[in-house]
Amino acid sequence: MSTSLITEASTASLDEFDRTTSRWGRLTMIAGLIISLAGPMYLVVFGNLDVATSQLWTAFAAVAGTFFVIWLVEPLTYFPILGPAAMYQAFMIGNISNKLLPSALVAQTNIGAKPGTKRGDLAAVMAICGAAAVHLTSLLVFVGLLGTWLISVIPEDLIAVARLYVLPAVMGAVIVQAIVSMKQLRPTLIAFGVVLVVQFVLLPLVPGLTMMSTALSVIGTIFIAWFARKRTSAVVA
Amino acid sequence: MTPLALPLDGSSTDILAVANSPILWICGLGVFAVIIIQSVIYIRAARKAAPAAGMTEAELKTSFRSGAIAAIGPSLAVVLVAVALLALFGTPAVLVRIGLIGSAAYETGAANISATTMGAALGADTYTQQVFAVAFFAMSLGGAMWMLATLIFTPILKRGGHKLAKVNPAIMTVVPAAALLAAFISLGTAELPKSAAHVVTLLSAAAVMGLCVFLSKKLAKNWLREWGLGFAILAGLAVAYFAHGAGLGPVA
Repeated sequence: MSTSLITEASTASLDEFDRTTSRWGRLTMIAGLIISLAGPMYLVVFGNLDVATSQLWTAFAAVAGTFFVIWLVEPLTYFPILGPAAMYQAFMIGNISNKLLPSALVAQTNIGAKPGTKRGDLAAVMAICGAAAVHLTSLLVFVGLLGTWLISVIPEDLIAVARLYVLPAVMGAVIVQAIVSMKQLRPTLIAFGVVLVVQFVLLPLVPGLTMMSTALSVIGTIFIAWFARKRTSAVVA
Repeated sequence: MTPLALPLDGSSTDILAVANSPILWICGLGVFAVIIIQSVIYIRAARKAAPAAGMTEAELKTSFRSGAIAAIGPSLAVVLVAVALLALFGTPAVLVRIGLIGSAAYETGAANISATTMGAALGADTYTQQVFAVAFFAMSLGGAMWMLATLIFTPILKRGGHKLAKVNPAIMTVVPAAALLAAFISLGTAELPKSAAHVVTLLSAAAVMGLCVFLSKKLAKNWLREWGLGFAILAGLAVAYFAHGAGLGPVA
């Protein structure tokens, strides 16, 4: 009888944790979403930069065409590992796979908690709070203060070179990173093939498509990779 | 003119004059504040629930500390990449977009896609304050979509909608891999026709990244892979500096 009382009390307090984290997790995430949009909105509205609404939507449409699949898939992928409470933390703090997941796993290992259990969820939440504390501090100090200072003392011609070439440098590294972490030969080859056709055959023929070229390559690659996928499950005759 | 309005001229290429404006700093720090408030609420909730989950106060502390220590390396690796992007986006945008919500790959990708729709290229003469504003808007709205998806899916998944992810395991592996690979390969390939210096920059960054991945496997040093992106970008920029100096850059 005393056990059932304890169980009831603990269920109630675990329910309260669920309620608190889902209510406040959502509210803080909505606040983060609004504040992160406020900056660019301010520039567009008060910046005197002559930005037309149509330019904004065209740009967003091109970005959406490229990344919409990732927007949908990432939350679905991380949910089983993070648990509901940590979802609202992870997608605001960012760098989930390279920082937050390892932090959560190390914490769970250190206290012997299994992912998916209540102990595991709480350990993940605490670990992500710890990771957030370190991350916010190092961003503010090393990027906010030191980085801003560094940019102000580096000679202008160096800054100009960095500005002009940082994109190919990032993309060169990210392509290799994506190929290695995806470990899927077929989609990789298909992606290269589709991109080359779009970039060097389609665009010269229809130059108007330039602004949508990445979205076209993404959608084309998804289609071909889907129909050319390795079917491991038994095929119905 | 309202006091809020910035004395700007959309065609100027002085990006940092817009990108480091005080109101953008305030919005950027606002996101930091929201995360701090969220963490405090979560820690208090976890403290309350711990006994019921069979967790001691010491275990809570251990979890927090393990998470913090494990994050040091990855955080500093992000810092390195973020600093390399300061010249392009200014401090507030880099802090929020690359440091927090997004990542270097997605955000520079989104910014470049936006610039392309305006017939401009990031970092080039066509990268005006107006292009920056549109790119910043589009990357922020893109980042908001991740949060929106999280806000919509989390309650559904919590109610046992795990089926959603199990419809077809191939959808969850092949489709995202194809999307991600095509996006970055396309963005990288579009850089190649710009100049010979762009080509060697991209190839040397790719080579250094490959080397870091290879060595991290060979020597079983995980940190090499974490730092790979930062090392590769710096190496790419160093090569770019010499290639540009040697006259391999775009013809002005």
